[in-house]
Amino acid sequence: MSRTISNLRSILTPLTTLIKTNIKFSTGFTILVILLVLTFLSFVAPPKNQHWYSYPKSLAPSLTSIDLILGTTANGRSVFWTLTTAIRNSLLIGIITALIAPHIGLIIGIIAGLKGGIVDRILMFITDTIIVIPALMLYVVIIMTLKPVISMYGDPIPFMGLIFSITAWCWPARQVRAMVISLREREFILTTTLSGNPMLYIIVREIIPHLLPWHLINFTNTILYAIGSESGLAVLGLSILDKDTLGTMIYWVLYYSALFRGLWWWYITPIVGILITFVAFFLISQGISEYVNPRLRRR
Amino acid sequence: MVSKPLLRFIILRIATYTLTIFTAFTFIFLLLKSMPVSAVENILAGLTTQGQVIDPKAVIELRNTLYEVFGLTGSPVEQYLRYLRRFLTLDFGPSIMSYPTPARELVMSRLPWTISLLTFTTILSWILGNIIGVLAGMTRERKISKILVGLSLTLHPIPYYIMALVLIFLFCYLIPIFPLVGGFGAVSITDVVSLIKDWLYKSTLPALSMILISMFGWWFLSSYSLALNTQTEDYVYYAMLRALPESRILKNYVLRNVLLPQVTGLGLSLGGIFGGALLTETLFVYPGVGMLVYRAVLSGDYPTALSILSMSIIAVATATLILDLIYPFIDPRVRHR
Repeated sequence: MSRTISNLRSILTPLTTLIKTNIKFSTGFTILVILLVLTFLSFVAPPKNQHWYSYPKSLAPSLTSIDLILGTTANGRSVFWTLTTAIRNSLLIGIITALIAPHIGLIIGIIAGLKGGIVDRILMFITDTIIVIPALMLYVVIIMTLKPVISMYGDPIPFMGLIFSITAWCWPARQVRAMVISLREREFILTTTLSGNPMLYIIVREIIPHLLPWHLINFTNTILYAIGSESGLAVLGLSILDKDTLGTMIYWVLYYSALFRGLWWWYITPIVGILITFVAFFLISQGISEYVNPRLRRR
Repeated sequence: MVSKPLLRFIILRIATYTLTIFTAFTFIFLLLKSMPVSAVENILAGLTTQGQVIDPKAVIELRNTLYEVFGLTGSPVEQYLRYLRRFLTLDFGPSIMSYPTPARELVMSRLPWTISLLTFTTILSWILGNIIGVLAGMTRERKISKILVGLSLTLHPIPYYIMALVLIFLFCYLIPIFPLVGGFGAVSITDVVSLIKDWLYKSTLPALSMILISMFGWWFLSSYSLALNTQTEDYVYYAMLRALPESRILKNYVLRNVLLPQVTGLGLSLGGIFGGALLTETLFVYPGVGMLVYRAVLSGDYPTALSILSMSIIAVATATLILDLIYPFIDPRVRHR
């Protein structure tokens, strides 16, 4: 019991210090909390918003009811409720990618960095090959191929996260490898190796603690990468168009040429949504890296 | 002059370079092959829906001829070898979707648009971003530097196509300088003046969206933090103690050291140009390579898609190779081992 509490405290203490002392982190964190509130609001969204033409078409924003607070779309949906669902799904895609890709990157980076030699060569060769291929084109081809089967096995949203993980592990892997190579030469690693500790113990107890903050930064950056890729694909009409994400919202805006019809509220909402999501996560990762690396702090 | 370890490094580096290109090409070929579209069937479907009555025998014959022309007969391995041969000569034969125009010609008609736009934006944002970044790093107590840093922190994470959407909103809707739809039509080449006008008209917003993001976002931030780090180095401190003029410290001591890692980034982005900027081109209906490769991939036009994608792969791989090889000449502290 006391162990869990002390574990919890070891997470909470840096968090509260960061919020109190680092303005970038606290701004990002505040926006993130707002986004999470919107995410939870999506669970109480009226079910009729899932269907087209359940609201009057193309209404301008009005404060009369919460349904109309951001107006309605040209296909008769409430912009506000659509936005809440969109943020939920986009965050889900981002988090699923971030749960997979940076961890693969971490493992591959550690193996490549510690083993060196031929293992390192092969792993880095695979990484470089994937980096060379234009990522967007790769996604276009993969999604075109998998489109018939994407919706067959339940919810397609997590599936998008899986697809983005194919390339998202490469940069973290390269970064981790570079750090492990420099860690490997330090004295404490030599000491623990000479003490006869097994490899796995060294990795878990001596190397990973040094990589954790950077891993956390990779984690937030991967969330951004996945949300960005999804919205990029959606602009091309290659996302899951019957689900609401920030990207598919933009797709429908462009499809109905909302600006041409003068529906600026519909056009602005997903764009502002993406902008604040990106700024929030970026500020959080900046805050963490300043916390870890005092050289970056403003003096 | 060429030492033995250096020679070994160069040979090994070139070997991995070739291997990377071939693996990437094979990978892309496999992916394209696994796409559930057949351009030839699309052509045939197009013919039959036009309402012409065609003899079924003639259709079968036409199909066989078309498969033959595009090198799609035989087992997948044979097809791969045939395309590999075409890859080595970088001539992929006629395009499928706009037969009989050669794919190479199709690409060449789009390439000037993409290269002019992307080279211009990449180089301009690199130069401006670095200069402003270093200046802001040197005068970091000033108000304007702080505002610039705040601005670039906001701009940095934003994808360039979101910036494009914001610009469309600002300059096509709020302040209608550019047309909202239909303004970016077909290219009309009559004389030089109207060509330049046309180019400027089409390129301004796409260029602006990319320059804003890459200049303020990436180059500014990285050169700013590099300048901060360089300033604390002993040799800069010593130069200050020697009372060297500010401009000389900036030029010879700080800027030079900041630019070294930035050259790597510039090389990589220049290599990335050949892939086009698909999303920007789509949003602004800009006649570039990105749109072409996208349409080619979607319609299963292997010759066109492969000629652009392999060009892009070769460019990125070559950029990294050249950078790795010349880096010791730019930065004498790095030595090939």
